[in-house]
Amino acid sequence: MEVTDIRVILAPAISLLCAALVFVAGSNKHWRRFWMLSAATLKLGVVMSMLPGSLQGTVYTWDMIDFTPGIGLAFRADALGMFFAAVSSTLWVITTIYAIGYMTGDEHRVRFFGFFALCVSTTVGLAFAENLLTFFLFYEMLTICTYPLVIHDETPDALKAGRKYLTYTLIGGAFIMVGSVIVYDATGTLSLGHPGILSAELGTRTLLLIFVSLVGGFAVKAAVMPLHGWLPSAMVAPTPVSALLHAVAVVKAGAFGILRTIYNVFGVDLLEEIGFAVPLMWIAAFTILAASLVAIFQDNIKRRLAFSTISQLSYIVLGAALLTPFAATAAIVHIANQAFAKITMFFVAGAIQRTTGKTNVHELAGIGYRMPWTMGAFTVAALSFIGMPLFAGFITKWYLSLGALESGEYWVLAVMIASAMLNAAYFLPIVYLAFFKAPPGTKLRVAEARPTLLISTLVAAAYVIVLGTTAEVPGMPFSLAQAAVHFVFGM
Amino acid sequence: MAAWPHWLPLVVFAPLLGAVLTPIVSLRSRHVAPWWALAVMSVTSVAALFLVLRVASEGPFSYLPGGWQPPYGIELRFDEFSAVISVICLIGWLAVLYSLRYIEWLREVPKERIPYYYALLLLNLGGMIGFVVTGDLFNLFVFLEILSLSAYALVAFSGEHIAEMAAFKYLLMGAISSLLVLFSVGIIFGITGSLNMADVATRIGQLDSAAPAALALAMLAIGFMVKAALFPVHIWLPDAHAIAPSPISAVLSGLVVKVGIIGLIRVYQIYYTSGVLDLHTLNQVLVWLGAISIVMGAFFAIFQDDIKLMLAYSTISNVGYIVMGLGLSTNFSVIGGSVHVFNHALIKATLFLAAGALIYRTGYRTLTDLRGIGRSMPLTCIAISIGAISIVGIPPTAGFLCKWYIALGAFEADQPFFGFALIFGALFIFIYYIRMVNAFYFQAPVHPEILEVTEAPLSMLAPTLFLASLCLIMGILGRIPLAFIEPAAARLLAPLGG
Amino acid sequence: MTGRLVTSVMPVAAVFLPLAGVVAGLVLGRISGRARAWGLGAICAATAALTIALIPGVLDGSVYEIYLLRLTPVIWIHLRVDAMGALFAATAALLWLLALVYSVGYMADGHRLGRYYAFFMLCLSWTLGVAYAGNLLTFLIFYELFSILTYPLVVHEETPEAMAAGTKYIIYILMGGSLVLLGVVFTFFLAGDQTLTAGGILNATMDRTSLLVIFWCFIVGFGVKAALVPLHGWVPDAHPAAPAPFSAVLSGVMVAAGSFGIMRVVFQVFGTELLAELGVMPVLAGIAAFTVVFAAVLAVGQDNIKRRLAYSTISQMGYVALGVGLLGAEATIGALVHITNHAFMKGTLFLCAGLLIKRAGIHNVSEMAGAAKRMPVTMAAFALATLGMIGTPPLSGFISKWYLGLGILDADQPLYLAVLLGGALLAAIYLLPIVYAAYFKKPPTIAAEDTGEGAEAPASMLVPTVIASALTLVLGLAATVPGFPYSLARMATEAFFR
Repeated sequence: MEVTDIRVILAPAISLLCAALVFVAGSNKHWRRFWMLSAATLKLGVVMSMLPGSLQGTVYTWDMIDFTPGIGLAFRADALGMFFAAVSSTLWVITTIYAIGYMTGDEHRVRFFGFFALCVSTTVGLAFAENLLTFFLFYEMLTICTYPLVIHDETPDALKAGRKYLTYTLIGGAFIMVGSVIVYDATGTLSLGHPGILSAELGTRTLLLIFVSLVGGFAVKAAVMPLHGWLPSAMVAPTPVSALLHAVAVVKAGAFGILRTIYNVFGVDLLEEIGFAVPLMWIAAFTILAASLVAIFQDNIKRRLAFSTISQLSYIVLGAALLTPFAATAAIVHIANQAFAKITMFFVAGAIQRTTGKTNVHELAGIGYRMPWTMGAFTVAALSFIGMPLFAGFITKWYLSLGALESGEYWVLAVMIASAMLNAAYFLPIVYLAFFKAPPGTKLRVAEARPTLLISTLVAAAYVIVLGTTAEVPGMPFSLAQAAVHFVFGM
Repeated sequence: MAAWPHWLPLVVFAPLLGAVLTPIVSLRSRHVAPWWALAVMSVTSVAALFLVLRVASEGPFSYLPGGWQPPYGIELRFDEFSAVISVICLIGWLAVLYSLRYIEWLREVPKERIPYYYALLLLNLGGMIGFVVTGDLFNLFVFLEILSLSAYALVAFSGEHIAEMAAFKYLLMGAISSLLVLFSVGIIFGITGSLNMADVATRIGQLDSAAPAALALAMLAIGFMVKAALFPVHIWLPDAHAIAPSPISAVLSGLVVKVGIIGLIRVYQIYYTSGVLDLHTLNQVLVWLGAISIVMGAFFAIFQDDIKLMLAYSTISNVGYIVMGLGLSTNFSVIGGSVHVFNHALIKATLFLAAGALIYRTGYRTLTDLRGIGRSMPLTCIAISIGAISIVGIPPTAGFLCKWYIALGAFEADQPFFGFALIFGALFIFIYYIRMVNAFYFQAPVHPEILEVTEAPLSMLAPTLFLASLCLIMGILGRIPLAFIEPAAARLLAPLGG
Repeated sequence: MTGRLVTSVMPVAAVFLPLAGVVAGLVLGRISGRARAWGLGAICAATAALTIALIPGVLDGSVYEIYLLRLTPVIWIHLRVDAMGALFAATAALLWLLALVYSVGYMADGHRLGRYYAFFMLCLSWTLGVAYAGNLLTFLIFYELFSILTYPLVVHEETPEAMAAGTKYIIYILMGGSLVLLGVVFTFFLAGDQTLTAGGILNATMDRTSLLVIFWCFIVGFGVKAALVPLHGWVPDAHPAAPAPFSAVLSGVMVAAGSFGIMRVVFQVFGTELLAELGVMPVLAGIAAFTVVFAAVLAVGQDNIKRRLAYSTISQMGYVALGVGLLGAEATIGALVHITNHAFMKGTLFLCAGLLIKRAGIHNVSEMAGAAKRMPVTMAAFALATLGMIGTPPLSGFISKWYLGLGILDADQPLYLAVLLGGALLAAIYLLPIVYAAYFKKPPTIAAEDTGEGAEAPASMLVPTVIASALTLVLGLAATVPGFPYSLARMATEAFFR
């Protein structure tokens, strides 16, 4: 059932308005905080208010204006989009609190928070995009809005990272545009409201071109190897930005794009028939392992996390490429699972950096004595990535494994195991250093990060556990993922 | 009101007459000149508005001075492509307003010569308007000369040596192109005995030999390509556009190069209708040159530090878009190309006016010198940023739709390579715009005093911001110009049987 | 077949009580060590009482169960107390209680006690979860968690050796855990979510290769924990590194959890009939037999007492696996009973070893001479447990060996009888010299003068040790009393071999 409902555009509009307010009237610290927090909460409220309806199968739509003749700037909150929007708006609240604490005393805070809000606005716009063009619009805007955040520190390193970021993502964007153009040329529609709009009659060459352009383009942001180069560099940005890049918005936009491409542009039946997903599967599997291997050797915490993100995102790609309902469930829920766990880790990394000035793994010896709660949160996230039951990551691992069995791609199971091992290999040493490597000599006293940082970190960590244990509680986002899978597979 | 038949001659002759009268009205005080020019452009704009409304409601129409029927009398013909006069009037009006302070500030310009500046500007605008609304080949040439000569003069207006050299280079190339156009007009008159374009189109079709027509076609095409500054005949453009006073740069880059494009469209109208020649070769040449222009323009721009030079090179890239759109000759691509004539004018004018404001306030014109300016002139820099995003074609700005349509056209024409070239060429362009944004916002100032400057005066800031907002609005409301130009594109391509 | 189903919160209480202990330990620890000791002791005792209280009902044929939480749409967290689970849980809880009391004395001057006790209680909680798991996913959840949560205890001393052992432990365990996960997923894929009951979830209509894959995933996965020989690498390192009370638990219950997992898989996932058909069990039995002998031979060569005991554990767990692998009723009873019996025997030995380290500074077998004189009670307990390990009647070790022997004869595999006896002989070879040295060798003169008499530990450590060793005797003497391991094992086995 489709209902025209203003809330679909209200959600991105709130963030947009917030950005405007921050830019115009944000030089006062208190007002700025007020705008940020109230907008984040309000938006979360708006998105969540759609949740009950969405769970019952209602699809909220809103057509704004025709962008070009035939293709409108249109919004449509289906289950998949709602899932992504719910995740990102929840994270926005947490990240805002964290960012307020983290950025205290920084220059250019108006710019920072303004663009931050803009990014989130575009992310929700992207989640609710009804057609590829609207999607592309927000996708590119996201790229642009993130740039000032990436180079926020204005150091030569940051500028370089920013350049790299733009180069990668804009090239990716160009591919997406090529793909969209061909889709439109071939079918005359760009709608994302169907389980697939292409058909096998278009011929393998055209379909291949579309597939490569769209998936290849989105894969840049999703940091699928070998297109991942920008992500580790971009970790020079302030931590809340890394959180934004790695969890809330940017990489997720890429992964979400791949999901949209596979489920709504091609459709699983067609992809099954033409078999393009198979190489994608291999690439994703390769990324999962290779990125993890690289991560082991990173000493900089955020760099290690960045490679972990690369690895984890390919879970989503892999899940999508397996083309089975179970795997699709895994792919969709991993958007949330990865997001909360990774944001926890980045928060921790940032809190450590702000509190102690340490940025490298080898300096962390004994940090758990000093910041037990913070490192506890890190441990929770690490366990989630390893795939411990009762943590969010397990749900993904479980469904992905089932999906692999369902599709008969048994080797994926081996990849999963190897990946869990590798995750353990690069996260557990941090935990180990923190808690079991007593610092020589002096006994450190507990000196936690400031409350804003700590609370948001703990909330994110709590979500990791909540997502891992209550997947099936009605009203949790998990059921949205199920609804999306049902739609995609026509179940 | 829109139906009043005499708007069409008025829109041509008001600026021309205004130009002639400018020195006279400003005899007593040179300060009258800008206000006079503004008044003239206001009248012209009103006329243009009515004309555009009329063509939107009833399609192309003609005006026959004295009631003489073509081919015997001259004809003014207003079709959808002629609606480009709307941007000519808009940018012209804003350029005049902007010049109010800017020209006074130019130290090299003797104050008593300022009225002539406005006269030349009006003349140039009038020439352009005449060029796009005439239905007569000879008048086409006459208006081309009017606008070209006034353009040379405007480039050289500051009187500096370097400006004169740039103008001379422009003049040389311009003269060649004018000659080519003149020759081909002569040939066409020779073989058809007519100068009225619609008439010529039918008569060429009845000729026994296509050879002279082909020669004329080639000469016309090359002539207009020079005007449009297509690679490799672009060499005059960067210097001329960079060295001219900023409002003139906006007019030259935004509008004058488009004259070449409109010229090409007119050529197409004649030759497609006549059906005497297969234009496939020309199309291929244009598409290739367009693609090369996109890439080369962007490539050269990367190495520029002078902000205006950079913008000038980006014009070459954008002309490449448009020409590629025309050359692809599909419905989508022609629509996209034509609309980009409008949109690029808005975008490039925004950029040049904003760049002018920076130069006006700081006296610096290289990116290195201008570092950190984003903090002291935020509004201007926002305008530049919007312009930059538009010109690269990031949705939802004005530049995006054209790119989208031209790329669609490339796939429609089954030449996907050009779709790729277009889209990835745009990325290339972004490289140097990002340098600009970096310099303004994210790099430490080289000259600390740059942090002390304030925004440009309202007469300069307002036009810039207005145009910048149009860049956004035209993107979001892109369907309006697209729908507007669609019938014209369909008519142009109708003889192809598409 | 499964008896009366009774929904009961008892299993949940048993699992959550130690969790409360975690919090209580942290809170009480702020007040004083004594408060914590009493608080945790009370909680642990209550837990043990709970697990024992469930036994009569189970013997009556009731099956207590409760559905907790739907984890993923198709799978519940499901706790279910059957005979096998009740036995394992009671064993674990009792041994934990003893080890906890012992810890209070042993760890008194230790560091980071808050962490130690928190994880100690946490591990108990998850172990009980493993025992009571009603389906494979629940089993997996608790199994993986307690494997990971053991880590802080293994590395508790934070010495380099402990850290290295911890790393090795975590690598082995994670590998094993992943394989188990694989098996669980695969089983779920083939059969869906099903309660673990006798007769099995899988059946012969399924793809044979898949079944084999699942089987080996499980066996290898659990085999890591159960220390089957090529997978045992972590055991000899982890045991000496951990604090003695934890070594006792680790050896007695944690390693046994792997064997317990193997039993669940063999009897309740596959079922005896299916496995007989698949014909894989002889392989398992072979591996187990090899483990028994191989580890025992290695144990002989160890000088470090705890290391020697660790190899002994590997060898003894081989008995359990052998009993399962024979796939006969008597052998299964032997295996089940041996888990419990071994837990207390090995618990005693490790607790004694801890006392030797703590009170007399004896780490190695070669330092044992004359220890009995200084620590008579400790060494008496040690000697009793040693005899139990060798299988001397009427001690508990004899009971399990007896049934294993019966099973071997049932299965008509005389070779394994040799293994059984050989294992016992080797146990004598590696354990008796310790006792011998303690009682009959003259102490080196210096040491004797140094410490003289009375190195005996205080009651808080001695009492649990003595109780554990007494249990060795009690479990042997009263083996057939209802409610003791034999009755539960028989009840479970009868269901497996209908």
